[in-house]
Amino acid sequence: MSGQTLTPLQTTASVERRPRTGERRFDVFQVIPYIIFFVLLISVVLLNPRLLRLSVLETKLNAAFPLLCVTFAQSLIILTGGIDLSIGGILSIATAIAATQMTGDPGSIIFWTLAILAAGALAGAINGLIVTKMRVTPFIATLATWSIWSGIALFILPKEGGVMPAVLKTIVQKGGILGLPKSLYLVVLLALAWQFLKRTRFVTRLYAIGSNRKNAHLSGTPIHATLIMAYALSGLLASLGGIYRTIQYSTGSPTAGDPFILTSAAAVIMGGMSLAGGRGSIGASLIGAFILLLINDLNYFLGVSTFFTPMVQGVLLILAVAIQSLGNYLRQRRLAL
Amino acid sequence: MTAVLNIVRRNPTVIMAYLLAFLMVVAVSILRPGFGSPTHLRSLLIEAAVIGIVALGQTVVIISGGIDLSIPWVLNSTAVLMTVLTLGQNERMIWAIPVVLLAAATVGAINGLAIAYLQITPVIMTLAVNGILLGVMAGVASGGLNIGYERGAPPPIILGLARNPILGLPAVIWIWLSLIAAITIGLARSGWGRYTYAIGNNNVAATYAGVNVKVMQVLTYIISATMSGVAGIILAGKFGRAYLGMGDPFQFGSVAAVVVGGASILGGSGNYIGTVAGALILTVLTALLPIFKLPAAAQNIVYGLVVLGTVYLAGLSRAKESY
Repeated sequence: MSGQTLTPLQTTASVERRPRTGERRFDVFQVIPYIIFFVLLISVVLLNPRLLRLSVLETKLNAAFPLLCVTFAQSLIILTGGIDLSIGGILSIATAIAATQMTGDPGSIIFWTLAILAAGALAGAINGLIVTKMRVTPFIATLATWSIWSGIALFILPKEGGVMPAVLKTIVQKGGILGLPKSLYLVVLLALAWQFLKRTRFVTRLYAIGSNRKNAHLSGTPIHATLIMAYALSGLLASLGGIYRTIQYSTGSPTAGDPFILTSAAAVIMGGMSLAGGRGSIGASLIGAFILLLINDLNYFLGVSTFFTPMVQGVLLILAVAIQSLGNYLRQRRLAL
Repeated sequence: MTAVLNIVRRNPTVIMAYLLAFLMVVAVSILRPGFGSPTHLRSLLIEAAVIGIVALGQTVVIISGGIDLSIPWVLNSTAVLMTVLTLGQNERMIWAIPVVLLAAATVGAINGLAIAYLQITPVIMTLAVNGILLGVMAGVASGGLNIGYERGAPPPIILGLARNPILGLPAVIWIWLSLIAAITIGLARSGWGRYTYAIGNNNVAATYAGVNVKVMQVLTYIISATMSGVAGIILAGKFGRAYLGMGDPFQFGSVAAVVVGGASILGGSGNYIGTVAGALILTVLTALLPIFKLPAAAQNIVYGLVVLGTVYLAGLSRAKESY
C-alpha cells in the first residue's frame, strides 16, 4: 500500500493520497455544473413560483430519485474508467420483478425488496466478473449483459403491466416527515451516502484504478475485488432506482431502464466527471442529474414538446463534453507552460 | 480473390464463424425441413443483408478505434425522410435518394468532426447524436408539426429491392455483394484501408507516419452514416413503410455482428468478411428461436451470450492487463 515504489512523477495516482482533496488548485471547470444548476433553478422557479410549494417539490423529487440512483451507479463505474450500459437492463429486471411479485402484505414487501436488491447486486457482480476475470472491456461486457438482463426482464414481464401495491406509495412517497417531503430525505440520504463513501478506502481505490490502473496495481490495490464490488454496488443502486420507479408509476415495464442509459451517462458528464476515469465527484454527478431534470422543466414552461427531450439532452451533452474537452486542453497547456 | 484468401488464412476466427453459421443452417434444415427451402433461405439472406450493410459502417468505425451508436436513428431518419420526399413515386427518387443519403452523410460528418476535432469520446458523441435524431423525429412526427410522415411511402423501385429478383436473387443481395467486394478490397488493398487500420492500432504512431488521422476519422463516420442511410432505404422498402423505432434493433445488432465477426472493439483489427459471418450468425439465431418455441425475450439473452462467448473464446476485445 505504499507509493514509495513508484517514481515521484506517478505518485499522484497512488492509493495513499486522495486525488480529490489533495493538491487541488481552484479549477473553474469544476464549479461550472454548480453554476449551471443554480442558474437553471432560479430561472425555473422564477418561471413557475409554484415549484417552491412542498407538494410540487415532493412530486419533482419523487420523479428525480430513480435517475439519481442510476447516476450514482453509473458514476461509480465511470470513475474507474469503464462504462456500465447494463444498468438499464438491471433497472428493467427490478421493475419487472416488483410489478409481478409484490403484494401489499408487509412480509412480501420486505422479502421482495431485499430479493430485488440482491438480484441487482448479483447482476452487477456478474458484470464485474466478466470485466475482471474474463478481461472483456467494460463497453462490450455491459453491452452484452444489457441485452441479457433486458431479455430476463422480458421473460418476467412480457409487456407493460403488473401492479405495485398502493400501500408502498403511501409509505415511501406521499406525505412528509417534520414538514418536509419524504423524497427530500431520500435525496439528502443519497448525497450523504456519497459524503460518507468518498472518505472510504473503497472509493479512493476507484479513483486510483481510474487514474492509472497499472500504478494502482503496483501500489497494492486489489483491482479485481474493487471492480467487482463497484459493479455490484452499481447493480444494487440501479435496482433500487427500479423499485422506486415502479412505486412511482404503480406499474412495471420491461423496458423501463433503457432511457436511463443515455441519461445517466449524460448526468455524469454534466457533473464534469471525466470518461477516462479517475477524475470528478459523484456529488457533482447528482447535480448533473438535477441539471437534466431542470432543463426538462424549463422546456415544459417554454412550451417545447416532451418528445423533443432526447434532442435537448443530446445537444446539452455534446456541449458539456465540448466544454470539458476545452478544459482538458487548457489544463494541458497550463501544465506544459 | 487473393485478397479474400489472404484474409481467410490470417483469420481462423472468421472461418469458425462461417462454419458455425453453415452448420446451424444444415442442422436445423435436417430437423425442420421447411427451414432449408430456397424461399426461406432467401428471406434469411435479405435479413442478413440489412444487418450486414449497417454493420459495414460499424466495422470501418470499429477498425479505426471508434464506435458508432447513432446508427439506429440515422437509419430511421433516413427511412422516414425517403418516404416523405418520394411520396411513393419513382420519378421523385432521382433527386430524393441523393438528398437523403447526403443528409445521412452530413450526420456522419458531424459525428466525425466532433470526435476528431473537439476530442469528444465516440461513445458519448454518437449516443448524443442518436438522442438528438430520436428527439427530432419523435417531436416532428408526434409533436403536431405535420410533415406528412403518415402520407409518405416507399416508391415501387425501392419496394422491389427486397422482392423482385434480378438473375435469381433479390436486388438487395446484389447490392450487398457489391458492397462486400468493394469494402473488402478497399480495406485490404487501398491506402485508405491501411490508414484505417493504422489509426485504430495507434493513432499517435499513425500521425507520425504521416496519416491525416482527423480526416480519416471523419471519413469513417461518414461511411458509417451513409451505410445506415442505405440500410434505412432498403428496410423501408422491405417493410413497405417507415415507422419510428424501426432502427432500434441495430444498436446492438451492428456492434454484435462486428464483434462476433472477429474484430476487436479496441480497434486496429478485424475485417468485413468476418462481419458478414457475424451478420449471418445473428440472422440464423433469430430465425431459430420460433422453431424452438422460444419467446422474443430469448433473442436478447442469446445475442448477449453469443457476443460474450465469442469475445471470450477468441480472446478479442479483451484487456491486455491480467491484473
